[in-house]
Amino acid sequence: MSQGEIVLDNVHCRFRHVSGRTVAALDGVDVTVPAGQLVCLVGPSGHGKSTLLRVVAGLTPPTEGSVHAGGEKVTGPAVDRPMVFQEDTVFPWMRVTDNVEFGLRAQGVGDAERRRTVARWLEEVGLTDFADSWPKELSGGMRKRVAVATVFATGAPYLLMDEPFGALDYVTRLSLQNMLLDLWRETRRTILFVTHDVEEALVLADRILVMRSGRLEDDIEVSLPRPRDEDIRARPEAVAITKRIHRHLGLDDAAPVAARMGVTTS
Amino acid sequence: MIGFLVRHRIGVLSVLIVVVVWEIAGHVSPHSPLRESPVVPPLEFIFGPALIGMADYWRIDWLAPTPIDGGERTLLGAVLALSYHTVLTLSRLVVGLVLGAVIGVALGLAISWSRVAREMFAAPLHIFRMLPLLAMVPLFQFWFGATNLSAIVFVAYGVGVVYLAGTVNAVANIQARYYEYAATLGASKARIYASVVLPAILPELFSSVMLTLGLAWSAVIGAEYIGVDSGIGRMIIWAEFFSHTGRIALVTILLTVYAAASFLVFRGVARRLLSWMPSGDPTRP
Repeated sequence: MSQGEIVLDNVHCRFRHVSGRTVAALDGVDVTVPAGQLVCLVGPSGHGKSTLLRVVAGLTPPTEGSVHAGGEKVTGPAVDRPMVFQEDTVFPWMRVTDNVEFGLRAQGVGDAERRRTVARWLEEVGLTDFADSWPKELSGGMRKRVAVATVFATGAPYLLMDEPFGALDYVTRLSLQNMLLDLWRETRRTILFVTHDVEEALVLADRILVMRSGRLEDDIEVSLPRPRDEDIRARPEAVAITKRIHRHLGLDDAAPVAARMGVTTS
Repeated sequence: MIGFLVRHRIGVLSVLIVVVVWEIAGHVSPHSPLRESPVVPPLEFIFGPALIGMADYWRIDWLAPTPIDGGERTLLGAVLALSYHTVLTLSRLVVGLVLGAVIGVALGLAISWSRVAREMFAAPLHIFRMLPLLAMVPLFQFWFGATNLSAIVFVAYGVGVVYLAGTVNAVANIQARYYEYAATLGASKARIYASVVLPAILPELFSSVMLTLGLAWSAVIGAEYIGVDSGIGRMIIWAEFFSHTGRIALVTILLTVYAAASFLVFRGVARRLLSWMPSGDPTRP
């Protein structure tokens, strides 16, 4: 599968709320993500991060505007844009191997190649010994590794991740972030990664997009060296980025208390 | 065995009490003038004269004498008669159950394919589910005759409706995220049906099986009561013609054993097929 950029052109996405009110989850988003970039989307809950990802995945059609991936218009879900969800989506009725090869089977990849690819990705995520396990026998973090291996194994050029590590404990989250960075460095896939955790974005991203009320509020290049351990994140330019994001989220000292508590009035 | 009895001593004790109370009732209840028709048949009667009496229903002049032609009542004849009619009933039950399950699940999946179909079938389906099954035996016999076929179709209908509704319900209950995940991995609708929908509804389907096992036994016995002139259910009617209470009780006990055995066999199968399930025993919700 060939790589190319992801282009969102004036994307709007309006929903009819149960109350009858129309809500604009996306309100005119224009952005181009070049091939191989690791982009983090941050912003408060309910401000369009996940909707943006779903639109790129083809799970939610935009009400206006268009999305192109590698020059092709997105009209529905396809194997070049697999997604890791925040919830556990690893199929509980398939053993780990069968989960990882699901996307390959859907593409009609032959037996021998499929086995080879699955073995490789199980090794990459450190689950070789669990190939024949049922998902119920794994921890939450290990199941996330299965999902990550599954999307990487498809060979897709674009990977979408919707707060994939959001429900994990701190230590597990850190190790999965490192694993993802390793895999990304190795394969240079284009990754769109939604998170509400500013620190996570700072550890991972080439570029951070801040979303608020369905719009792109800011677009920040992050040129800090990797790995971005505590020392790097304590550098003035890193702190400046954190402060800049916090300001958008209404978390700086000058913001009213209500905004700091995460209460939004929009 | 001993361990089982000790672990379940309270349950074992209560069953023993029921048996003892029945036995006492059998001996203190007013005596019927008919020797073969005690009001409450005691156990030694059920497994004695009543059991031997079942030989009356052995009508093939082979292996054992046929009392209907003046032959002697033998234990072998009784066992043969019971086995013969058990096999007939069991085959109707199994064929009807499998037929009903396959057709019910297939129809349920087909209906679930599109939203229009789902909404179109929802109301009639609820009505069909509420029709009292046993009340429809005569109608089925009018349509299909008092035959094997009639009993099989009747069982298939009775359980099929449950499977149909169960399948539609189970498909509707699948978490959307599984479909979405599969779709972003490039799976077609047909593949999603085969490798996501089908396994995802299995746990709920297995509760339907437990439900329909009981239902199928009732249905097949009901069909035999009213029309089909053979089978273990029919034996109860034959016994009833002459008020053979002991024989009625014997067949009832036998049916209980059959039903319990079918539940046990199925539980084993379900446990094996659902070993991937996160917790507990799917057949015991």
